[in-house]
Amino acid sequence: MIQPDPEAAREHDEELIEFLERDQLVSDRSRPVKRADLGPRTRAALWGLRVFVLVVGAMVIYTFVAQLHG
Amino acid sequence: MLGENDGPSMISYATTGATYGLGFFLPFIVLTFAMAIVCQEMCMRIGAVTHRGYGQLVLQRFGPLWGWFAAGDLLFTNLVTLIAEFVSIRVGLAYFHLGPGVAAVLGVVLVLFTLSGGRYWRWERIALGLAIFNGLFLVAAVLAGPDWGAVGHAMVTFSPLPHGSLNTLLLLLASTIGATVTPWMVFFQQSASVDKGLTPADVRHGRIDTVAGGALAAMFGCGALIAGAVLARHGGASVNGLGGAGFPAALRSAAGGTVGTLFALGLIEAGAVAVLTISASTGYAASECVGRAASFNNSPRNAMLFYGATIAVALTAGAIILIPGAPLLSIALNANVLATVLLPVTLVFVIMLANDRALMGSRVNGRAANVAAVAIVAFVSLCGSAYGIESFLQTVHLIG
Repeated sequence: MIQPDPEAAREHDEELIEFLERDQLVSDRSRPVKRADLGPRTRAALWGLRVFVLVVGAMVIYTFVAQLHG
Repeated sequence: MLGENDGPSMISYATTGATYGLGFFLPFIVLTFAMAIVCQEMCMRIGAVTHRGYGQLVLQRFGPLWGWFAAGDLLFTNLVTLIAEFVSIRVGLAYFHLGPGVAAVLGVVLVLFTLSGGRYWRWERIALGLAIFNGLFLVAAVLAGPDWGAVGHAMVTFSPLPHGSLNTLLLLLASTIGATVTPWMVFFQQSASVDKGLTPADVRHGRIDTVAGGALAAMFGCGALIAGAVLARHGGASVNGLGGAGFPAALRSAAGGTVGTLFALGLIEAGAVAVLTISASTGYAASECVGRAASFNNSPRNAMLFYGATIAVALTAGAIILIPGAPLLSIALNANVLATVLLPVTLVFVIMLANDRALMGSRVNGRAANVAAVAIVAFVSLCGSAYGIESFLQTVHLIG
């Protein structure tokens, strides 16, 4: 059996989307999106960045408050 | 994109001009808008292809924890930035001897008025109609009589380089970036693309719209810096010495009443447009992150959280500026810095979404877009953290 070419199938989907009405596309939002499978390295990097910006954000707020009282 | 030229942005640009004159920061503004165009193009494209706002997509694709973090960051920075927008309106109105109460009422009434139409296009047309007046900064710059040779030299050579206090330089660097590439704009651009009903077929027009808006906004932002630079020619200005209604009044003394008046009107416009966009982005974020309806096209009954959050954040910020003795300029600059510091996490998720082939199909980022986007995240992280760490170490007396 001949397997469908994924790229051709995707192009077909995009052609179909372009012919859909806007309301149909908006209703597409109710369809749930599958959860991404993040690897341990990606998770660690995201948490690292998260903690980093929170620490620096706290520094900025501390400095701002200290300047107000200074 | 014109919404990027909000009140604190224009105050940041003018402060930079007043502090350093015409030089490095003039082309730097253009560079930051090029960065904003890259980020906003990705958001527009993601919105057009997935028909989902940023908050909704992060929540569904990466889980509730990251979705709530994103919404929490945004709600916090939006409140601070919105206070700064009301400050901007207050500074502009103070030039005309009108008090903070008028600024608070004007901002909140504008939000209520634009929400009353029940359609996205009505809201957009009102915001765009107001945004045209952002051009007042360019008119003010021309009337201020700048040295056009110095403008051209600065644009081409990025010089003269800034001098003086490292802390002030880092503050203005982070503040200028945070004035242009902002977390709220990521939420707003993507959600507004969805609300507007963009489809993959509209991506080309969306790109033209984004680039045209970015070019206009960069011109007007440069106008604010050039107008502010007049103050540097008249004996200079310290960053902390221009609070209250200082900027328009100082410009009146240095460049004439018309320039001062145009600048004051520009600040009112910049603050007013941003009050609309930031309160709307808060409404989008709050609703998307709990899976509720988030659209101007929904009635208030069907999208209570969207309308409620939009109005509540505007009311809260409007009330805060009524506190007497608030350090206006400091709030405006630090709002931008805080946005810069929190921005990298938001941008990393945008890049991940824009590269997600399961969501985006063939419209994933190309190599050039990825290189530019990663460079932007690295640059924004470096500038934001450099100011945050340096000023903290100074405050706790660990460095001189």
